[in-house]
Amino acid sequence: MNFTDAAHYAASAAASAAASAADPASAAAASFSLSALLKAAPAIALEGLRGLDPVLGLALLVIAAVVAGELVHRWTRLPRSVGQMLAGALASPGALGLMSGPDLTPWSPLLDLAVGMLVFELGSRIRPRWLVDNPGLALQCAAEALLSGAAVTLVLYWLDAPPTSAALAGGVAIATSPMITMATVNEAQPRGQVTERLLLMSAVNSVLAVLALKAWRVLAAGGDFVGHGEWVSAAVNATYALCGSVLLGAAVGLLLAWLSRPLRNAQAVAVMQIAMVVLTSLLATGWGLAPLLTLLIAGLVVRDRLGHGLFVEPQLGTAGAALTVLLFLSLGLLFTLEGLGRLWPWVLGFLLARAVAKLVAVAAFARPSGLGWRQSLGLAIALQPAAPLAVLAGASTLGWPADVPAVHAGVVQAVLIGITLMQVTGPWWAQFGLQFVARETNRET
Amino acid sequence: MSLQPFAPSEPLTLGVELELQLVDTRDYNLAPQAGDLLRETARHEGRWDIKPEITRSMIEIGTSIQREHAVLLAELRDMRNQLVRAARRLNIQVAGGGTHAFQHWHEQTIYPGERFAYLSELYGYLAKQFTVFGQHVHVGCPNGDDALWLLHALSRYVPHFIALSASSPFVQGHDTGFDSARLNSVFAFPLSGRAPFTTSWDEFGGYFDKMTATGVVQSMKDFYWDIRPKPEYGTIELRVCDTPLTVDHAAALACYLQSICRYLREERPFEPAEDDYLVYTFNRFQACRFGLDGEIVDPKTKHRHKIREDILRTLARVDEHALDLKALDGSQRIRDTLFEGNDASWLRRQRGRDAPLPAVVEAAAKRWVA
Repeated sequence: MNFTDAAHYAASAAASAAASAADPASAAAASFSLSALLKAAPAIALEGLRGLDPVLGLALLVIAAVVAGELVHRWTRLPRSVGQMLAGALASPGALGLMSGPDLTPWSPLLDLAVGMLVFELGSRIRPRWLVDNPGLALQCAAEALLSGAAVTLVLYWLDAPPTSAALAGGVAIATSPMITMATVNEAQPRGQVTERLLLMSAVNSVLAVLALKAWRVLAAGGDFVGHGEWVSAAVNATYALCGSVLLGAAVGLLLAWLSRPLRNAQAVAVMQIAMVVLTSLLATGWGLAPLLTLLIAGLVVRDRLGHGLFVEPQLGTAGAALTVLLFLSLGLLFTLEGLGRLWPWVLGFLLARAVAKLVAVAAFARPSGLGWRQSLGLAIALQPAAPLAVLAGASTLGWPADVPAVHAGVVQAVLIGITLMQVTGPWWAQFGLQFVARETNRET
Repeated sequence: MSLQPFAPSEPLTLGVELELQLVDTRDYNLAPQAGDLLRETARHEGRWDIKPEITRSMIEIGTSIQREHAVLLAELRDMRNQLVRAARRLNIQVAGGGTHAFQHWHEQTIYPGERFAYLSELYGYLAKQFTVFGQHVHVGCPNGDDALWLLHALSRYVPHFIALSASSPFVQGHDTGFDSARLNSVFAFPLSGRAPFTTSWDEFGGYFDKMTATGVVQSMKDFYWDIRPKPEYGTIELRVCDTPLTVDHAAALACYLQSICRYLREERPFEPAEDDYLVYTFNRFQACRFGLDGEIVDPKTKHRHKIREDILRTLARVDEHALDLKALDGSQRIRDTLFEGNDASWLRRQRGRDAPLPAVVEAAAKRWVA
């Protein structure tokens, strides 16, 4: 059924109602057929939506996501992104089945742009020099990332996962979702030490996750299942991708700083930034680089060059805000809980090991880095949202990257379930950590 | 609650308190991280003190009891260096200045604590608007009577200190046209302004008892006077100065006050009178509005002078005392300020024609470190 079929059903219902009003004798029969139609309406509507053109269908879902986000926020005070992801999850194949991952293909450039804008914004908000000024913080960042990766790898290996697949899960576990972090910070507007550290650590652990996954590919290529011949090729590819990303990011940052200097209008600056993010994202993807790393570096460099002179609107303005809704809706569409009943030990191992590792590492370096205990707890909680594997792996779309070497399907599915759970609840973790534990939103204590 | 006795202290000893801004290194807005900085500096070296202020983007530092300019300046520089190191670890910066150029009062949060909660409850939004930054200078007095005499004698010099320290031209993102707009925030408080004209500690005790009986005040802390006695320290406290942009200027201001106090105590050039206050508010306004270019009226002769000229004449009168107090370096710095301009004019120069205000705050933060 497509959109025209749905319109046909609606016209039939209207005609039937009109007939029953005009002819009392046939009212009973008409009433019967109307009640049958009303009973069947939800199924008919669903069929209608399923048959829609993917672009039109997603546009309708975006409207639903905006409403859902607003309602969830109004009723529960949860971040709007939770409602937007839930709208996507409801439409996913696992629920109503209105759309599926492949339906996102026409939208993939916009989704990449949405990710790129949030990552660029994250880069523009951090000052790497802080890691030099506070060595305790540098250790905290490194420990948090490394311990998360190691703990998840070891726990899954202990739970009989193949070592290569367990290592992949470990690499994924390192990252905190830069998208959820930025969206939550933009919405709640917290200010304080935990917020600044959350932004910095999300950036650092996302970069380390990208590096870990690149390293994993090199090591996996050296394993038995792919063949030794590809090891050198994978290593060269990883080095090229990393160095190229840094160079491209730095070049874009310098260029953007140079182009922004004469601009005095905030809107013009925002448009310039969006255009540069589009360009960078396309170049990074086309050249086989890591878009996340490239845009993060671009944001860092432009902030370093312009200092307070750089004005970055939250989500790069209204256009970015619209894309962010689309992004969270799409993340919801890609949610999967398939096989949870069978894979729950690995899922639980992934989630618990990651959570405990982040908590222990943050707390261990709390005092040496100048953080209080309550703030440490808030930071560890806010670091929980997980990042999509595709974003970390540098895939051009949010779908499962096709060029990943073969791994144990069960472990991958367990990781995807873990990511799903830590994405759909991610904004809540971030908000809870920042607002209620660290108390950094503008609320009196 | 009756007025506590005035604890005697060594005459002309000094204590300096500075309220400081904590600013974000990214956008140079105020950073609500006083708690973090207090934790970082909890084990600082030296006898100086650091404590929270009413909102979370402020801290107050206080020196130990000092007698000479050089030692005071050394301690202030040590405080500044330790603070800057701690702030750097937190990715924030410390800055002087009487106001933050573009913060919005409604974004500020009250620092947790019984006293601050009480003030917030009592004064409402005024408490958050009190996110302004002043320098307070304590001068030791041997007894309450001497303290009150000195307090009233100093009243005619209040415009000097306002004009010399003025560093708050910008408020809530705009140039106010005032050199010291900070005092306008202080003036909003019902118990601000000048102390009542009482010349003995017993008489002042009677006034205090009457005020506490009305329920309007509970302690001396409830008075926001420009100069107020501090009986528990045995001092009078000058509260009209904006926090300067450098500790060097803060030390110079303190020692200028010390020299004037010695001059007044030893030479007794006039006797303070109630009528001195007839021109007090006008003079105060001139200093706030026009800084060193303002005009003040001499309460005795009724003549008008430029504040700059009045300070020059006063410096000439007190130089001998500055020499005895080893405060000539401080006096020289005050002279330099008369010709180079106060911190308010420096801040306006940083802004130039259309520089953004974050650039002004960044420049102020850099100057604090220099």
